[in-house]
Amino acid sequence: MLRVQIASTMAMTETTCKDPVIHNHWHAIAAIEDTGSHVHHTRLLGEDLTYQASTARDTSDSTGDHEFAVSRTAAPDKLLPVHCAYGYIWTCLGTPAQPLFTLPEYAESDRNNVCACSVGVRVSAPRAVENFLDMGHFPYVHTGILGEQPHTEVREYDVEITEDSNEVIATRCRFYQPQAAAGANEGMLVEYVYRVPHPYCSILYKSCPDDESRMDVIALFVQPVDEINIRAHALVSVIDATSAPLAIRMFQQTIFGQDKPILENQLPKKLPLDPRAETPIRADKSAVFYRRWLSRQGISYGVIPAAA
Amino acid sequence: MDTKPDSSSDNNHYWHPIASSTDLTPRHVFHGQLLGRELAVWRADDGNVNVWENRCLHRGVRLSIGVNDGRELVCQYHGWRYANRTAGCTYIPAHPADSPARTICNNRYPVTEQYGLIWSAESALPATHNSASVPDIDPGFLNGSITAPVADGDLNTATIRALNTEREIDAGRLLVLRPIPVNATIDIVSTVLQSYGYIHPLSNTPVHCAVEARDTYRHTTQVTPLTANDCIASNANPPAELIQLHFIIQPVDSARSVIRGFMSGSSTIEHPTTWLQLHNAALSQLRIVAEQQMQAIIPPAAWEVSITPVSESLAKMPGISNAAATTQRVVVRAITDTAKDIKSVEMAAITGDLATWQPGSHIDVLLANGLTRQYSLTNGPGQTDHYNIGVKLEAESSGGSSFIHHSLKPGDVLTVSPPRNNFSLRRDAVKTLLIAGGIGITPLLSMAKALFHSDLPFELHYFVADNSHVAFKSCLDEFGKAANIVTGLDPTETNSRLQQLLAHYENAHHVYLCGPGPMLDSAKAIAEAHSWPDESVHFEYFKNATEVSQDKPFSVALARTGITLQVPAGETLLSVLRNNAVALPSSCEQGACGTCIVDVIDGTPLHQDVYLSNAEKKRGNCMMTCVSRALSDSLTLDI
Amino acid sequence: MITLYDYELSGNCYKIRLLLSMLEIEYSKHTVEFYPAADHKSEWFKAINPLGTLPVLVDRSHEPQNAGQRRPLQQKTEKPHNEQTADLNPIDGLTLKDSAAILVYLATRYDKTASWYPSSDPAKIAQITEWLAFADGITASASQARLAEGFFYNVDADACRARAHQLFRILDEHLWFAEHRKQRWLVAGDLPTIADLACFPYIILSEEGSISRQDYPAIRRWTDRVKRIPGFIVMPGVFPIGPELSS
Ligand SMILES: N[C@@H](CCC(=O)N[C@@H](CS)C(=O)NCC(=O)O)C(=O)O
Ligand code: FES
Ligand SMILES: [Fe+2]
Repeated sequence: MLRVQIASTMAMTETTCKDPVIHNHWHAIAAIEDTGSHVHHTRLLGEDLTYQASTARDTSDSTGDHEFAVSRTAAPDKLLPVHCAYGYIWTCLGTPAQPLFTLPEYAESDRNNVCACSVGVRVSAPRAVENFLDMGHFPYVHTGILGEQPHTEVREYDVEITEDSNEVIATRCRFYQPQAAAGANEGMLVEYVYRVPHPYCSILYKSCPDDESRMDVIALFVQPVDEINIRAHALVSVIDATSAPLAIRMFQQTIFGQDKPILENQLPKKLPLDPRAETPIRADKSAVFYRRWLSRQGISYGVIPAAA
Repeated sequence: MDTKPDSSSDNNHYWHPIASSTDLTPRHVFHGQLLGRELAVWRADDGNVNVWENRCLHRGVRLSIGVNDGRELVCQYHGWRYANRTAGCTYIPAHPADSPARTICNNRYPVTEQYGLIWSAESALPATHNSASVPDIDPGFLNGSITAPVADGDLNTATIRALNTEREIDAGRLLVLRPIPVNATIDIVSTVLQSYGYIHPLSNTPVHCAVEARDTYRHTTQVTPLTANDCIASNANPPAELIQLHFIIQPVDSARSVIRGFMSGSSTIEHPTTWLQLHNAALSQLRIVAEQQMQAIIPPAAWEVSITPVSESLAKMPGISNAAATTQRVVVRAITDTAKDIKSVEMAAITGDLATWQPGSHIDVLLANGLTRQYSLTNGPGQTDHYNIGVKLEAESSGGSSFIHHSLKPGDVLTVSPPRNNFSLRRDAVKTLLIAGGIGITPLLSMAKALFHSDLPFELHYFVADNSHVAFKSCLDEFGKAANIVTGLDPTETNSRLQQLLAHYENAHHVYLCGPGPMLDSAKAIAEAHSWPDESVHFEYFKNATEVSQDKPFSVALARTGITLQVPAGETLLSVLRNNAVALPSSCEQGACGTCIVDVIDGTPLHQDVYLSNAEKKRGNCMMTCVSRALSDSLTLDI
Repeated sequence: MITLYDYELSGNCYKIRLLLSMLEIEYSKHTVEFYPAADHKSEWFKAINPLGTLPVLVDRSHEPQNAGQRRPLQQKTEKPHNEQTADLNPIDGLTLKDSAAILVYLATRYDKTASWYPSSDPAKIAQITEWLAFADGITASASQARLAEGFFYNVDADACRARAHQLFRILDEHLWFAEHRKQRWLVAGDLPTIADLACFPYIILSEEGSISRQDYPAIRRWTDRVKRIPGFIVMPGVFPIGPELSS
């Protein structure tokens, strides 16, 4: 028997993160464009943080990464590592064990990069990532936008874990969509590629309605507020000459707004890594790989580890 | 009480109320909780109450946010459907062509409806649970139940009937109180309830209840029914009456309880609203006291609940599962003549529940005369308390249909296999065509019922000799224009009608064919001629009419077992495998049902079945071991 | 022509979208990004609504001198305009800045059955007004808790939740006794009123503010009934429902 606390009233006893992998990872905490020079507050891995755009820039620092000052609220003088990438401010509570994953498309000059939204959701980070990888829910949760009944079939696709970069990659994913993007106005079979380069981040590439040779990019950067609360940050990077940033943001807010109540109704909130806790089907292949990949890295934060 | 009541004792079937009967309005899902475990509670259109774990087996989403369609509960996340009563999964939309594995079945909890309340128990339902065991509240205290009525539109007929019967009995004079959820431990609630009192609405005198706390549930002394006797002095106006109040505290979680109660006494009938309001006000007052007392203590941690792991096989991304399972004994409930030479036979479980099936499923019926016959189920969605089959009296019957027609009678016991499905219904079609010939109507009827109930577009064309041969007429009538009965066509006319029906293939259209061999063969040929892709044409033969040849011997290498066997002329591959202890499931053993399929790694099979499509036969990478043999001298199989 | 200044994730705007859909009224939406841009506090929007709140409805088919007189929906005076000029001069028509006011207006003007807001029935419209005020109480509590959780508003979310639970207890009791009297809606009568629509959105979205409705079974049944009103539409955070049992 798996003994699990699934009550939503669960007392949050655990405060700080004891998972070394997660502790030493970069995590997104806010969109750069939303961050002014006054003091902002947020939470990461159970700890209160304070951040702001630096007023007096330290010119001796040549990396350019220290435009923002982030610190634990409890230790305001000790600045935490900061990295600005993909429109967001990233920080690390420990010592960054590895550089942040690459997202080369972000730098392509003809792309419209939009920080679409940051939304609070009462769920663990891995549950949110798994939802992002899942096509089967499109016709039910994103009805009329990313999917539509009766077109519910999830066709076979390929998943692998790359040797070099240690990422989960799902390719040849295809799904029927009535309105695949803000700029789309008719149904089509859309092709997706999913990447999971970070335990709490995922990136999807989908066929671009405007240019067949290119792919639109939507990235999900999950900020683990604590084990069962997150902020979901979205970056949309599209080759879309017609859609205004407002339309792109509203599209993404609608999608996240539809996922939110599903995620908040998942029990237990932490992702169970024991294969027998839930019932995967072939359509969940990417989730199965993702869970195994988390297990293999020994991730314990935000998951219910499989019994040894 | 900080720790959860111990349920490790062998008798963990003690009952707790979890809802009022009136909470379960039609097509609603009630969100319940007992001893920390959340429950999704719903009443199907047939009146059956389902108490399930509030988690979809797939990804743990609460089922209390799902859709009760009257027959099945549909999960909001990926649309998995779970059947009334059995809680088995009947459809997984992401894989429309597959039948869900039979073992995908939600955790169910015992349920009984009594005193206007829904009762359940903590332990998950054992397979042979007998729901007749009624909680022993206070024998002789009450004989009937009058529940607080709800808005008319919210009552289904089953409930109305129950209410009327109870009114006719009119003995118990029972009024179910509005339940009061309290954010306090069951201990605190129980203590405050001891001082329950109110002003009698008719005499205007204060009533202090003599509350007698009784411990019916030995294991959880905290779950205490409380009985109060309210005796009014005989000179009071109105005259004396004995009012009995009964409270039961539902242990929701460590710091959450619900006070449920009912009362009896003649004035409860005459002034139900007055009494309901009175107790509601008094209990609400009491709640304030209990919640204040809660402020003074450190709230206990929520009770832990265990999650039953799914079976090993399910954890490994199951596909289609037709694994043979144990047979079950059923009792014949009714036999009716539904058309000339066709009987409709209804069978119910003797103990426990029947297994889950999907449209297109069939069962093997082991007849008392030693024969086994396969029959498609004609049930509609959610009709899970019986199996219904249609049996045609065959002229050259070797005894199966003749036995059913002439010897079988209601009350007889039969042994049946669990339902198997080789004829799955996709529900992702833009349009579905169902074409039946004669008794071939049976699986298509079940499909039509499912499509009709979910409002999916379909047409049913039913070819029969004449009107006297139309089976299940009243069901067909329900489909209105979607059902079309075609009578009296000769084979040529039938062909040209099939030509019309199959003339235009459009993307995501599917056709399901079931009927006599020649009709199926020509329908398949016509569909192919009109460019219907193989995967859009689904068929089920009643039986294999192909002349099966057994004359050529061949050898067979078993790649995984690492042995090579000889199949002599006159013996089937299946029987050779069996004789060498290679267990393969089989069913019809005439190449029609698809159960004994194996993958072929090398060699060319000689297909003699009617199960595989032409494309599958051409591919040559699988075969039916019961009838098919080898064209090449040897075969290598993936077993 | 009716324009709704709208934000998809706003429950107050959803109230209006619900009634517009149920009354089958055509309208155009003008999106105001409430979060994170806070466009409802921008200069251009404050010129339309100095309160800086959503929703705002502008009805350009409105003729002030004939306010009491109903005109068929089809006779809308379609003036060519682009949204920008419309933004600058929306006063060219009736501008309403409060969800309750908009519901009252739309129901009174466009509901031919006069059931959503039976203006000739004093007791009923008074009761409806009570519920409109109650709905504001829900906005001030349940909606605030939702904004705190989802959009990081700096409010006392625990206090908002406690207040919302107080209101939900009152509402559940009301609805339970309404069912007992065979009533289905907030205000007694055969048909729903704008009271139901004003209260529905932030109740159905309450869980986004960690306000469970598990203890309010009568509220849960009533939300099912609202979802089955013809013309019902969902918004992100609201799940669809299946058909009613036909008798
Ligand atoms: N009483 C107003 C309140 C509307 C309201 O609070 N709207 C929210 C959006 S859902 C808003 O604009 N809030 C901004 C603020 O209060 O500053 C109504 O019902 O329309
Ligand atoms: S979680 Fe219920 S269907 Fe997927
Ligand atoms: Fe989603």
